Amino acid sequence: MTRPQTTVEKILARASGNASVAPNQIVEVAPDFSYSHDYAVFAIDAFEQMGATAVVAPERIAIGLDHGFPVNNARDANNHARIRAFAKKHKFLEFFEGGTGIAHQVMMEKGLVTPGALVLASDSHTPSGGAVGALAIGTGETELGFMWATGRTWLKVPETIRVILTGALQRGVLAKDVMLSIVGRMGVLGGGYKMLEYQGPAVKTLTVSERFTFCNMSAEIGAKSSIFPCDEVTEAFVQSRARFPYAAVSSDVDAVYAKELTIDLASIEPMVALPGREDRGVPVGEAEGRRINQVFIGSCTNARTDDLAIAAAILRNRKVHPDVRLLVVPASRQVGLDIALNGDLAILLEAGATLMPSGCAVCAGAHQGVLGDGEVCLSTSNRNMPGRMGNKNAEIMLCSPATAAASAVTGVVTDARKLNT
Amino acid sequence: MARELIEGAVTVLGDFVSADVVLPARHSFLPPEEMAVQVLKELSPEANAGVRSRPIIVAGEAFGYGTGRESPARALRAAGVKAIVGGPFARMFFRNAINNGLLVLDCPELARSGIADDDRIVIDVVNGAVTWGERRFDVPPVPEIIRNIIAAGSLIDYGRAIVLAQAAGRSS
Repeated sequence: MTRPQTTVEKILARASGNASVAPNQIVEVAPDFSYSHDYAVFAIDAFEQMGATAVVAPERIAIGLDHGFPVNNARDANNHARIRAFAKKHKFLEFFEGGTGIAHQVMMEKGLVTPGALVLASDSHTPSGGAVGALAIGTGETELGFMWATGRTWLKVPETIRVILTGALQRGVLAKDVMLSIVGRMGVLGGGYKMLEYQGPAVKTLTVSERFTFCNMSAEIGAKSSIFPCDEVTEAFVQSRARFPYAAVSSDVDAVYAKELTIDLASIEPMVALPGREDRGVPVGEAEGRRINQVFIGSCTNARTDDLAIAAAILRNRKVHPDVRLLVVPASRQVGLDIALNGDLAILLEAGATLMPSGCAVCAGAHQGVLGDGEVCLSTSNRNMPGRMGNKNAEIMLCSPATAAASAVTGVVTDARKLNT
Repeated sequence: MARELIEGAVTVLGDFVSADVVLPARHSFLPPEEMAVQVLKELSPEANAGVRSRPIIVAGEAFGYGTGRESPARALRAAGVKAIVGGPFARMFFRNAINNGLLVLDCPELARSGIADDDRIVIDVVNGAVTWGERRFDVPPVPEIIRNIIAAGSLIDYGRAIVLAQAAGRSS
């Protein structure tokens, strides 16, 4: 009789060839799928410096350029060229050219991240894959090169925090508001080294896009990753896309958790994270009236078709405030195509939004949309520490697409529920 | 050879220093010597000078949180840092630092002990202890895999041996 196992324990047991594993055990694993982006150039460095010549299991590896495209300078252009050549030479399963979208979004859209899989990628927002029931964990770039060379890496089996979602979101409250509330409650390291597993009656009411927002921001509590169960909602999303065979994995009913947290979605209000740290979330009412210079509706957290529909519904027949720049960056080209076809793109442009190529854009702080000294950006992205957007003398606040769109109209932080839509 | 004792002067840094502050994304692609010029400069010029002249950082809570970019860890290595003690640390920064040959030890009590810049500490990796003058702080034992990576010099050095062994296995 083996001890009951959590989802993460089951997936890591399979990936490490063990019958079962226990928290804090260190295991050697072979990922089912791994991916990277522009920083893959450092993985190539590591791979070559290790003296490796052949990539292990390239049919399980992809790259999607997203951090800086189109490039600003010859150095970055040369790096991109090197990545393209490497992916081609070593016959990676997929190479997604810049403009396809943010890697986390693209890998899910294209069916490369699948339920029950161990997915490793060289980016802190890799846990986004938990939206479809994958165990998706971030690694460094050298480590990714090590995996290309050896086919494996080591992981510590994490304890799991069980998060039970109950109730229903109120009108005008979005998944992002729940996450800003959770991050505020737990702190930027409150989930440190732990796994979050979402369960409870409200899970089935959340779309894959909303689950993506939840899992994406588990990075902002320092969690190893987070994961949703694979249910009918997941199946409907994954079935027609999956590139690999998959099997749903779930915790045993008597599995042991480090902690349990219950969140009544009905109790959540629209939230704004005040400048400086992700855990400084306050109800929007406490931030109302703060002046803003730039609004960024983008990033892997909140720039999917549903997010942009929410923004468009608010911006319809309205104009962006003359003192505000509104930057809109669809999470992927597919999202861009969706909003072009459904009319939301026209609404956003009509309102005065500037459309940027799909990618990390402003959020990565090294490409476009850098702020001036003393300026304030209200953003649907995930991070607001000093300097994140390329200037430590600027401030960043985080919010939902609804709050971002409403505030773009008024020029100050605004509760979207007070505008008629 | 494993470095069993690490000894030297410390630079004390505060709580919630994010990896983006250790090295902003725009400096990610600089050569090592230029990264050393930029490391922790967002925090203060003194922090930059400190980590370039002293081998050990005493770091506060959540040091290295946020971005999973590896360049902040590479920049600290380029500056000459050998070990970071304190925390608790963010996991991706922890791994990136280890993979670049920097020993990272959880010892939050040390960061709150009143230790100051230029004080000297001794880290005993094998016995899991940090000594500052008369005071001794216990730290959790370092897992074997981490000891092996640090002993090799970095994950690249550690990986080189595995790649060689793989090649030998193929040709035999």
